[in-house]
Amino acid sequence: MTAFTAILVDGYRELVAKNLFTLSMILSLLVVAVIGIGGLNEQGVTILGFTIEVPFVNSNIFTPADFYKLMFNSVGVKFWLGWLACLLALVSSAGMFPEMVSSGVVENMLSRPLPRWRLYIYKFTAGLLFTSLQMTVFCMASFLVIGLRGGAWEPGLFLAIPLVTLLYSYLFAMSALLGTITRSAIAALLLTILFWGFLFTVNSAEFLLNGFRISSIKECEAIQALMEKRKKENPEVDVSDLESEFDRNQSALSNLALWHRVVFAVKTVFPKTDETTSLLQRWTLEASNMKDEGDDDAEEVAATAQKQRRRGETSFGNSRAKQREVNLAHEADQRSRGVGWILGTSVAFEIFTLGLGCWLFSRRDF
Amino acid sequence: MVSQNQNVISLESVSKVYSGNTHALRDVSLHVGAGEIFGLLGPNGAGKSTLVKVLLTVVKPTVARGEMLGKPIGDKKTLARVGYLPEQHRLAPYLTARQAVEFLAALSGVDRVTRKKRAAELLDRVGLLKWMDRRVNVFSKGMRQRAGLAAALMNDPQIVFLDEPTDGVDPVGRVEIRDLLLQMRREGRTVFLNSHLLGEAEQICDRVAILVQGRVVKQGRMDDLQKEGSRQELTVRWGGSGASAVANTAMSVGVGAEVAAHGAATARSLPFRGMQIAPTVTADGKHQYVFADLDAAAAQPALDAARAAGGEIISLIPMRQRLEELFMKIVVDPLTGKAPPPGAGS
Repeated sequence: MTAFTAILVDGYRELVAKNLFTLSMILSLLVVAVIGIGGLNEQGVTILGFTIEVPFVNSNIFTPADFYKLMFNSVGVKFWLGWLACLLALVSSAGMFPEMVSSGVVENMLSRPLPRWRLYIYKFTAGLLFTSLQMTVFCMASFLVIGLRGGAWEPGLFLAIPLVTLLYSYLFAMSALLGTITRSAIAALLLTILFWGFLFTVNSAEFLLNGFRISSIKECEAIQALMEKRKKENPEVDVSDLESEFDRNQSALSNLALWHRVVFAVKTVFPKTDETTSLLQRWTLEASNMKDEGDDDAEEVAATAQKQRRRGETSFGNSRAKQREVNLAHEADQRSRGVGWILGTSVAFEIFTLGLGCWLFSRRDF
Repeated sequence: MVSQNQNVISLESVSKVYSGNTHALRDVSLHVGAGEIFGLLGPNGAGKSTLVKVLLTVVKPTVARGEMLGKPIGDKKTLARVGYLPEQHRLAPYLTARQAVEFLAALSGVDRVTRKKRAAELLDRVGLLKWMDRRVNVFSKGMRQRAGLAAALMNDPQIVFLDEPTDGVDPVGRVEIRDLLLQMRREGRTVFLNSHLLGEAEQICDRVAILVQGRVVKQGRMDDLQKEGSRQELTVRWGGSGASAVANTAMSVGVGAEVAAHGAATARSLPFRGMQIAPTVTADGKHQYVFADLDAAAAQPALDAARAAGGEIISLIPMRQRLEELFMKIVVDPLTGKAPPPGAGS
């Protein structure tokens, strides 16, 4: 315990000595301040008394509490902490392991009555201080802003501390491993960012493929419903065009399902960075509260979708299924992924990475 | 503490083969007694630091049969009773001297109260009391070395490993560090010293081992090693006459028969072992010859001959072999005049 505490305190001192940590803390508070000075009225968003008219973000659609929680999740956690602050933390702590294994330092560390694997884990834990301290400050400030400005005292926000720290720990475990292998802070940082990019690509690919897959399912359902409707109206009607459209969609669906399965299998092995931070949104915000667009006819939907495509607007490619239905089904599918699967598989990869790092660190001569 | 005369380090066989079949250590066997200052000497790349690193678990040995403080080599818990100052060590630049030594002590399991107390004491002892709350990044190399020494003593170790402790330290600092090592010995600690500075080792080490290409080629008590190759220096003075006496003396010490041909020219220089020995003419007109580097067998007959010839024996001084001479004899190849390449080869 003495050694663990000492390494944590040392890690804190190292962070404080780095300007990047202080800068990051100040930026975190600025982000909260920016969220805090924003507000809602019936026309849209208000900033320092000025109103920016936004038809889909106003007090008719969101309560102030939901607005601030949404801002906290989407701007604060997902964008700032999930990306920029994590990047700053990686830059700041990429040198921790290369420095520890450098000549003149490693001898002092290893010649102690402490197993190497423990030293590695202690140092790794100290490396998480950057994010956890920053998260603590950010969450406390956000808690006050949402409470005072939104009128909702939401202790669930503090779940962001372990969640974002966990997200960072996936990346830092890789940075620690690479730092131990390469003994170079720059190499560790660049390779970790590359790894992060890979995770982002896999996650995005899976998200899109799943969206298209669900869209195709919905499209097939819509075509089937349309065929049934037409036959109901006139049993003699020719629906061969719809049947061939249905067959094309079925074929596309089986292709998409296959590719989705492949990408999903790859994704299962690796940490789920985006889904980890999305858990906070899942726990603090209700499921989508978008206004229902009404029970449109599939042919009207198809016409709208065609217009959307002509205007260059993105949808999951459906022409007959309603976008809202597709989105809800997609969201429901994403939410159906259990916390155990998201965190369990991610943590399993992290444990593997840490284990590999400990093993290499324990075997190597310095 | 381990009692005197007991070995705190007993290595039966320690070998280290790095990848590429490079033998850094080959079957090293040595013993270090409790409470002594032990010097491990050797040229660059001989394996000195590797041996220390093996003992301190920084390097994994290929073979390690032996004990340190009664426990097998590699036993982590034993390291709580061992201090270490690595060669060219670096303390975290963002820490003050006090924080740095306390941090390393904490890694050795020293409790907080003891850390606070010993940090001030030891930094005072190494002359850094006034600097102990300054960051080490403003320290000179010598000051960092002193801070490292304090850190090595924080856990009140029974054995202290010091790898080039005076590296980068000014002459005054070197004397202070030497005194500190002697103080450690007085406190009953064993000091394991890795050093290139043979003069320093000679002054303070009780025992030394010389490592060449990963093998211990010589080890023993400093006194014994110095006696082993000791020589004598004979100074004889004669009056104006007595050429034959000079010749006899010269011959008896192995100068050779041709010296006798010098006849009465007592003031001439004499060939001696490939050199010319010129006499010093004293104030009273006598000639004084110095025959240096005599082995024990040659000195006694020379003494007798000089006396018999009426020569005045000024002195017969036993010249102890200097560590540097011993080291050079062992390390340098007599044919090439060069030290062997680093490592024990493959």
